[in-house]
Amino acid sequence: MKEKIKIVFFVFCLGSVCGGFLSGINAYTRERILRNQELKIKTAVLNALEIDYPPEKIEEVFSKNIEKIENKGRVIYRTAKREVAILFSGPGLWGNISGVLALKPDLETIQGIQIISQEETPGLGGRIAEKSFLERFVNKKTIPRLLLVPEGKAKRENEVDAITGATMTSRAFEELLNKSIADFRLLLKKE
Amino acid sequence: MKIYRLIYTRAGRIFVNGVWKDNPIFCMILGICSTLAVTNRVENALAMGAGVTFVLLATSLLISSLRKIIPARIRMITYMLVISTFVICVDRFLKAYFPRISEQLGPYVGLIITNCILMGRAEAFAIKNPLGYSLLDAFSCGLGYSYTLLILSVIREILAFGTILGRRVMPGTWTNWVIMAMPAGGFVLLALYLWIMRNLAKLEPEKGGI
Repeated sequence: MKEKIKIVFFVFCLGSVCGGFLSGINAYTRERILRNQELKIKTAVLNALEIDYPPEKIEEVFSKNIEKIENKGRVIYRTAKREVAILFSGPGLWGNISGVLALKPDLETIQGIQIISQEETPGLGGRIAEKSFLERFVNKKTIPRLLLVPEGKAKRENEVDAITGATMTSRAFEELLNKSIADFRLLLKKE
Repeated sequence: MKIYRLIYTRAGRIFVNGVWKDNPIFCMILGICSTLAVTNRVENALAMGAGVTFVLLATSLLISSLRKIIPARIRMITYMLVISTFVICVDRFLKAYFPRISEQLGPYVGLIITNCILMGRAEAFAIKNPLGYSLLDAFSCGLGYSYTLLILSVIREILAFGTILGRRVMPGTWTNWVIMAMPAGGFVLLALYLWIMRNLAKLEPEKGGI
């Protein structure tokens, strides 16, 4: 009996010490981690809008060029030339895909897309984060809707070549982009 | 002559065992998962090596100094608790100060928790040896793990990207061996490395094994 009490007491003490230590570490690093995440979003927005920046002056370039508009919990980034960028996030094949979509001033043509995070199959669906794939979207029309078609078949201006071998990811990505654009239009109408 | 004799002291033996005779990777074949995963770039290998060495040192410090009061029946849980605490520490630290490396290492920092080297050293050494020797053992095993990662990552990064730590070292005409950046390349290279090192260290496969 005495042995059991000793074990419980030991685990309790060790658990509290470790827990307390981790809370301390968390409190100490939280701010920096949040700042890093914000910086990542800002970098993606700048890349999507094709604004050049020196790596150490991201914050400065961002606040100079981009206006952040918040509306009912949704954030829109707008430049002086009236290009806009919106954040999108939703399910891919395996996990969440999030990124930034930038539209030209006509609000129909894509200016650029950046992926912030994705968990698709490495080498197949994971290629959605590659520059060569994301460049296929530039100058495409999002009206009536964006279509991902089998690789090499894209002809019309709302058609984009999908990734061969990653049909499910391509389909999920198409759905995600169209939904985000539709949500964004709805927001514009209400204004 | 005197330096050579150091090898025959207890401390010297522990050190030589960690980095050479009982090297965690090519002798004990522990920590292979992370070795394959993070050696595609030197930067990642350095961060991983430093992370594992830190957690090894911290765990040995705590386990060895508490070894007389840790109840024998729950010693495994104690190791897990201590190891995970320090691994989360390393993870938060990387996220806060080296976000780029943290992103490339992905889940592998968290997976240090299940790295057998840590559990192995705690159970095989720290729980029954005094503090000084335990720290030395942790350090030499960490070093043994780190230099292996470093060697593999230098070869892989040169072949796969033509660079070391992001600096170009191969001529412009160099064709990147994409396979070296992928797990398959890691397997091939690790097998060659094990073969060479085990021959150099004169390790014989156990008789009667498979």
